[in-house]
Amino acid sequence: MAAPKSDKEATRDGAKKKREGTVDADAVVAAVAAAKEGLKECPECGSKCLICDYGKAEIFCEDCGLIIRENIVDLGPEWRAFDSEQKSKRARTGAPMTYRMHDKGLSTVVSSGSGLSPGEYKLKKWQQRTHVANTTERSFIFALSEIDRMASALRLPVNIREAASMLYRKAMKKRLIRGRSIEGITSALLYISCRQYGVPRTLEELRDVSRVGQKEISRAYRFLLRELDLKVSPASPVDFVPRFCSLLNLDGEIRSHAVEIIKKATEAELTNGRGPIGIAAAAIYIAAILSGEHRTQKEVSDVTGVTEVTIRNRYKELSEQLEIPELLEV
Amino acid sequence: MTKLNIKVENVVANARIADELDLNYIESRLEDAVFTKKKFPGLVYRTKEPKSAFLIFRSGKVVCTGSKTEEGVRRVMDTLSADLRGIGVEVVEHPEFRVQNIVASANVGRELNLGAIVVGLELEGMEYEPEVFPGLVYRIAEPKSAILIFSSGRLVITGGKTLEDCEKSVDVLLDKLRQIGLL
Repeated sequence: MAAPKSDKEATRDGAKKKREGTVDADAVVAAVAAAKEGLKECPECGSKCLICDYGKAEIFCEDCGLIIRENIVDLGPEWRAFDSEQKSKRARTGAPMTYRMHDKGLSTVVSSGSGLSPGEYKLKKWQQRTHVANTTERSFIFALSEIDRMASALRLPVNIREAASMLYRKAMKKRLIRGRSIEGITSALLYISCRQYGVPRTLEELRDVSRVGQKEISRAYRFLLRELDLKVSPASPVDFVPRFCSLLNLDGEIRSHAVEIIKKATEAELTNGRGPIGIAAAAIYIAAILSGEHRTQKEVSDVTGVTEVTIRNRYKELSEQLEIPELLEV
Repeated sequence: MTKLNIKVENVVANARIADELDLNYIESRLEDAVFTKKKFPGLVYRTKEPKSAFLIFRSGKVVCTGSKTEEGVRRVMDTLSADLRGIGVEVVEHPEFRVQNIVASANVGRELNLGAIVVGLELEGMEYEPEVFPGLVYRIAEPKSAILIFSSGRLVITGGKTLEDCEKSVDVLLDKLRQIGLL
């Protein structure tokens, strides 16, 4: 990697490259920095090409030259590093803050890096114990670990875990956890977060990893929706298609075909009052067969959690209306 | 406002028929009386003609369900009183009751797109989880009631204390639906 130029050179080069159609990393950083200062466009000419010059401590418009802000503060480190080893030696910060830990990841722990003497080990254990102050904190830690456990079992990405953890904090602040099962609440929160992020998990899948039954999760879910004033749109069959298709080893073409079928069905108002998972299952079943990739109703049933009867019924409804040729039962 | 054939399906009422009742005695003497003390503190007494169900409590209070009209409640209450007096239990002869809930059904006359209603009305008090239950639950503050809306266009109204309440609730709903052009 070439030695970094001075900030001014970098940003000007970056801007030039931008004009020429390529993107330079420094220019992107400069643009983001400008946005962070609260600026999006030049007040005089409305251009979106703003340059942050930390060398002169200025933000100026690249098109008309207006200096928009002076004496900006550079919040970066005062050192420079020319490779990753140097960087790790010089950096003083740790991991980013996260809501998934009860202390938001901000506390310090005794490391067991190069082995501990018995005394050091004792210190570490006692530090961990005094860490947790009271029952509330303890149950909070338990709840967060539950969220983590279930999210891992469901292979959910970090952002959904963070969302669920944040919701739990909100619920705690509003004292909604009192007298209710923590497992029920955490399961419901994960369910909500998945829905909010457009990658819903079926209630069955939640129940499989949860310590409580479906009824308890549903109750907690409705309770939380009301108390936290959350708006969750009804799960659309389309949201389930990518995941089910990949679990059935069906490729992108079948996936888009299934989505098409669902869209047509929704327009024809066939989906009214029907469970979205059943529709998704039937659409996938149809799309698979039409592409020659046979999946038995049992296979689809196992993956989606709906019964074969439901798949059969939905498939009949869809094929009737959408004029898909009668297919043989596999 | 059209009435859309609102039909009362169930009337729930309660009354005080005595100061105290011996439920064990009643269960032993009265046919069709079920008392599972551990599960529920009330005795369940079902009548066949007219068909109804009573929850009878030690406090002497009862809850009556199953009738389709207020008149029906009156008749069946009097029957209960007669039955109890028949086995030697002292109760009020014609108990005064109070209607607590009326469940009614109605039909909008055409299919409804529940997903569109959720989006269009975007309000509080709307529960639609097709994964769990095919009906949309719309809760109204005034009069305090809940309406179950099904994609077939049929409605179930509950929570009202009078038939007028039910009709008013339906009117509120229909109004909202017309506002967003779904009717």
